[in-house]
Amino acid sequence: MTATHTPSVAAVDVSGLGHQYVADAGVVQALDGVDLSVGDGEFVALVGPSGCGKSTLLRVLAGLLAPTEGSALVRGDAPQVALTSHAVGLVTQDPGLLPWRTVSGNVSLALEVTGARADVPELLGRVGIDAFADYHPRELSGGMRQRVALARALAHGPRLLLMDEPFGSLDEFSREDIGLELLRIWERDRVSVLFVTHSIREAVLLADRVVVMSEAPGSIIADLPVQLPRPRSQALEQTPDFAAAVAEVRRAMGGRE
Amino acid sequence: MSETTPPQSRPGAVPELADLTESSEWVATSSARRGLPPTREIAGAVVPAVLAATVALTLWEIWIRARDIKEYLVPAPTAIGRALLDDPSRFVEAGSISLVHALGGLACGAGSAFLLAVVMAHSRPLERALYPLAILVKVTPVVAVAPLFLIWFGFNAWPKLLVAAMITFFPVLVNAVTGLRSIDSTSHDFLRALDASRWQVFWKLRLPASLPYVLAALRISVPLSLIGAVVAEWFAADSGVGQIIVIANGELDTPVLFGAVFVLALIGVTFTGIIAYIERRVLFWHESSSGV
Repeated sequence: MTATHTPSVAAVDVSGLGHQYVADAGVVQALDGVDLSVGDGEFVALVGPSGCGKSTLLRVLAGLLAPTEGSALVRGDAPQVALTSHAVGLVTQDPGLLPWRTVSGNVSLALEVTGARADVPELLGRVGIDAFADYHPRELSGGMRQRVALARALAHGPRLLLMDEPFGSLDEFSREDIGLELLRIWERDRVSVLFVTHSIREAVLLADRVVVMSEAPGSIIADLPVQLPRPRSQALEQTPDFAAAVAEVRRAMGGRE
Repeated sequence: MSETTPPQSRPGAVPELADLTESSEWVATSSARRGLPPTREIAGAVVPAVLAATVALTLWEIWIRARDIKEYLVPAPTAIGRALLDDPSRFVEAGSISLVHALGGLACGAGSAFLLAVVMAHSRPLERALYPLAILVKVTPVVAVAPLFLIWFGFNAWPKLLVAAMITFFPVLVNAVTGLRSIDSTSHDFLRALDASRWQVFWKLRLPASLPYVLAALRISVPLSLIGAVVAEWFAADSGVGQIIVIANGELDTPVLFGAVFVLALIGVTFTGIIAYIERRVLFWHESSSGV
């Protein structure tokens, strides 16, 4: 890793961030005055109605999109600078695996590009797919493909995981499984996570903090700490505290799911 | 997020591609059966075709004999066979020369088209500048330029190679540009977020993604390259199957004419089959080989 920052630098520090883009129907304001920070090693979930600019925010942080206003810092640097030190790992709803590569080939892709070294079988073991190393993506279920995408995003040892509705296309069971798997990895490695989701329950189950975005143009309307004990498990979902936390987030969103 | 990645497929940008993709040659891949051992796979494809051909040839022979049709009009299959066996080395030699002309031209045409496609896939302005020139090459009838090439380059292999190259250039160009652009935007984002260089994106993403398109174009181009080579040989009348056709035509030697056609068909079928086989082996990951 070439990151030279002290651990105290915030993983994400966004202030006054706005983004406009030109569409056929005219100028669209996707984000407006977003302030957000993710501490080092913190797990923050970002929820909001669809089309509120959550993905735009993540693309800005990944260095894929230059914002039109405000500033965004990733570990103290502009996102375009942060990406050159390979500090970020990206997982999106569509896993975007290369169909011609095997599972381990897809994970190696991150290593080939960054020049980092890692034990690929060990990485696959961490996300529970070591038995499928030689399979091709088309032979895997949606949940397993997301596990490959997660292993690939972790391969080069990023300090920040940006996750854009990573489990959004999965069924309820795989979704919970892989979410708890992610928590185990996070508890071990303490990478910072910014996790975009439209599921309030998922956000509460996983995160230290749930940040709520408004409808477009997106801005932050609530920032709610989740005071539930860790390590978390499925059993937590049956507790009154969990229900209360979910209700609080739902209230902040204006009563919607 | 609209400005980061171009739309993945733009129908209308390259109108000719639609014609190519809808042609039967392309669709043939989807019937490719995976999982069978190669020998059984080949046998399964060859046996029904051989049976059908035998039936057709028999009916043809019966028709010729029953109606007593003159050999210079339509020769019987046995007469064509006799013409072929009369001087087999003549056909083998001419066939191999035509083969070299066609495949050499295909290599030149497809190679230069692919290189140009790489340039065009990376730059919209260059694409806009070069595309009209490519169209010009496409719409020029090769039959019109073949005599010109003969005057410029003389009686050697060059006119044949150039005509074959010219006729195969455009299908490969259009398909390669589309293929090189057909990359998955999520995979592209992932590589960009890792600070991948253009070269890495090309080598690890664009090139493999373009293969289904390029191989489909090659399958279309093999018969085209044979047409190009024979047309040029025909004008030069100095070598290859084209020469046999010109001479036999002058002598009204119809069995030899048919023999020449048979040799060309054999070459075309063989090479189309080879490319289809390569497609199935290389493109196991692509929808076109799923067999569904």
